[in-house]
Amino acid sequence: MLKVHSRCDLSCDHCYVYQHADQTWRDRPVRMSADTVRATAKRIAEHARVHDLPVVHMVLHGGEPLLLGAAGLREVLVELRTTITPWARLDLRMQTNGVLLDEELCRLLVEYDVRVGVSFDGDRTANDRHRVFAHGGSSHDQVRQALALLRHPDHHPSYAGILCTIDIRNDPDRVYEALLAERPPRVDLLLPHATWDRPPARPDTAGTPYADWLGRIYRRWVDEGRPLSIRLFEALEPGGGGTEAFGLAPADVLVVEADGSWEQVDSLKTAYHGAADTGFDVFGHSVDEARQHPGVAARQDGVDGLCATCRSCPVVDRCGGGLYAHRWRTGSGFDNPSVYCADLLRLIDTMDTYPPVELPTRQPAELADPLATELLDDLATGYGSAHTLDLLAATQLSATRALLAGWRERSGPTAAWELLVDLDEKAPEALRAVLAHPFVRPWLVHRLTPSARSGAGPASDPLPALALAAALRAGAPATLDVPVRSGVITVPTLGSLVLPVDVDGTVEVTVLPGAVRVRGDHVAQTVVLDTGEPEAGGWRATHRVPVPGGQLLLEDGDPYRDCYGQPVAPRLERSAARAVSRTLAEAWRVVERDVPVHAAALAGGLRALVPLAPDQKRPLRSATARDAFGAIALTPVADPETVAVLLVHEWQHVKLGAALDLYDLVDPEPGHRIRVPWRPDPRPPEGVLQGVYAHLAVTRVWQARAAAGRPAHGDAVAYAARFLTWTREGADALLAGRSLTAAGERFVGRMRQALEETAAGPG
Amino acid sequence: MDHTPTRTPRPHLDDLTRSLRTPLERVAVEHADLVEMIRRRVVAARPAASDTVAVAAFNSSI
Repeated sequence: MLKVHSRCDLSCDHCYVYQHADQTWRDRPVRMSADTVRATAKRIAEHARVHDLPVVHMVLHGGEPLLLGAAGLREVLVELRTTITPWARLDLRMQTNGVLLDEELCRLLVEYDVRVGVSFDGDRTANDRHRVFAHGGSSHDQVRQALALLRHPDHHPSYAGILCTIDIRNDPDRVYEALLAERPPRVDLLLPHATWDRPPARPDTAGTPYADWLGRIYRRWVDEGRPLSIRLFEALEPGGGGTEAFGLAPADVLVVEADGSWEQVDSLKTAYHGAADTGFDVFGHSVDEARQHPGVAARQDGVDGLCATCRSCPVVDRCGGGLYAHRWRTGSGFDNPSVYCADLLRLIDTMDTYPPVELPTRQPAELADPLATELLDDLATGYGSAHTLDLLAATQLSATRALLAGWRERSGPTAAWELLVDLDEKAPEALRAVLAHPFVRPWLVHRLTPSARSGAGPASDPLPALALAAALRAGAPATLDVPVRSGVITVPTLGSLVLPVDVDGTVEVTVLPGAVRVRGDHVAQTVVLDTGEPEAGGWRATHRVPVPGGQLLLEDGDPYRDCYGQPVAPRLERSAARAVSRTLAEAWRVVERDVPVHAAALAGGLRALVPLAPDQKRPLRSATARDAFGAIALTPVADPETVAVLLVHEWQHVKLGAALDLYDLVDPEPGHRIRVPWRPDPRPPEGVLQGVYAHLAVTRVWQARAAAGRPAHGDAVAYAARFLTWTREGADALLAGRSLTAAGERFVGRMRQALEETAAGPG
Repeated sequence: MDHTPTRTPRPHLDDLTRSLRTPLERVAVEHADLVEMIRRRVVAARPAASDTVAVAAFNSSI
């Protein structure tokens, strides 16, 4: 947690930073300096590198982080992303009061993939009981405007949720309804910070008013089918997993204060002045040194680190002793139960005795994994943040590397494999670009499939072509034997070389600067690549379509593009390729016009487009292959408005297919079929799931067109209504059946929720 | 008796991202379980699971 700004524009009387025991904020600099941000980023990058961390979670906090302003915030984000991302995935979050949030800041947060939690206490009465300006004025309208901005489709990827500090004087129903109305991806309900020295307000010393208040919301939440994620309840369920406030997981939070001090978790500020101090700072001490501080180390022991009362409690695995700060009592320190112990016990009892649905006795693996629920919840919005798409792409690349390693195990050592290994070390980006090509995995899957293996000879070995492509990309000199099929050498991602003789077998290829030399029984030639002349020396460079953020391959040469279960088009003539490129670039602009979030997602992941063979009976076709992540196939169509819809539709399949590689959302029950509104014959559940997910995105395209009211889209309202109905009925059919796993039910339930938000429109 | 159909084990997200940092030469040794899991899930299980949507062709598989 980074305290990037130590002052706040609100003056909330329940704030633990300014209003409780610790007053160290008075001696801190107003904002974190550039030097401190840089030193912090270096410390964290160093820690990620040394410990080979796959991910670092970071929260920008305050005070109020948005007081940095857009320029100041951008400087911080650039420093963090530049320094840490080379070593670990950086999961960036921000906690804000939202008052200063505007469109410029929202765009910045989306650009840097920062997910934002907004502090908001519910209806106007509840919120303004504490969340007011120094002059006593209400912040309610400003915060609601911030939440509306985050709900907008352009900014939705940055909408993480709402943090609500409860007050038992508020009406729980009105608070719940106010939170629900903001349509947050997640809500966390926070007990007001208190200790045994400074106990929470209770009208009756013997009662459990906090459990009663939360229990009211819990029962309603359950009765209404859990319409949104409420972290407090989910954390307290059996197997609910750890949070900072509950559970027995080791504490893994360190704070960097505005002056660069390493501190323990900042809720300790409620205990006593200086409670969070470690005496360390980022300039002189590493993360490892800070985490060995006795205060941090004491929180790594799980149940053994709790007081005797907690250790003997039957629900200790649920509450984990409550928030560490809430255990403080002068004299016995933190060796006490939570000051909310009676409330937590009662709330857990309420949750255990109010099951309107039969809860699973064992948490499914996907739902017990916070990374999995986060990824699936994000995809279930119908969009998917840049971070989620990066993660999906990384898992696909990893799977391809695993298949490559599997192929090496079968084929034994070869010169091509040695070259790949060498390039992996010396030119990793070149190899990565080749292995991320959508048609490498179909190639490897085909070769590894038992039925294909029997006919596999040297000419079918995929490794030489991959090594040749990577060496060319890296500009690395190399000589190796490469397969030739019908006189053509395929060089994935770059093109293909047509030899003057139509032969099958292998030829020796030498990589030269900007050229290749080919030697074989019937051929000896040197071909200069990319001369600017079409097909000079037999070199057919893959067509490239300029699109926002880079180039898209118009792939009509790679033989393993033929993975869509329908004929692909042969090599396009130059004029035809130019026409397809123009349509595609224009379609991309149309997607950006209609649903910019989807355009950003395409820019983040779409690598190749495959022309399908024209068929007069079915002129409009598009397809996605589960094994070819990052590619879409479609029939060349002249109308960019139509192509835009197909791109959005198919990209949904690409995302969901990659998620299904990781998680089981549908039970494997052979033969089960579900009736759907978009075609007459019943479909397998996974097909229905794919259909619903695609139609959700297409609904949004037509809704955007309907809202724009262009004369060319006079039928947009009708299309929007049709796709909305298809999506709704398809999702309901899935939820009504028995074909979804627990993770699948959660996914479709959230998709259904996103659909209703879509139906209601933004704002 | 558990009648739940057998699933192929699923790879863990952390294992997948971590293996990207392993030199290609050592992937098969250091991530042998992952390599086998991917092979079973992507190669071996796919043809047998007829209801898996390997190809999501517009208006054909969905």
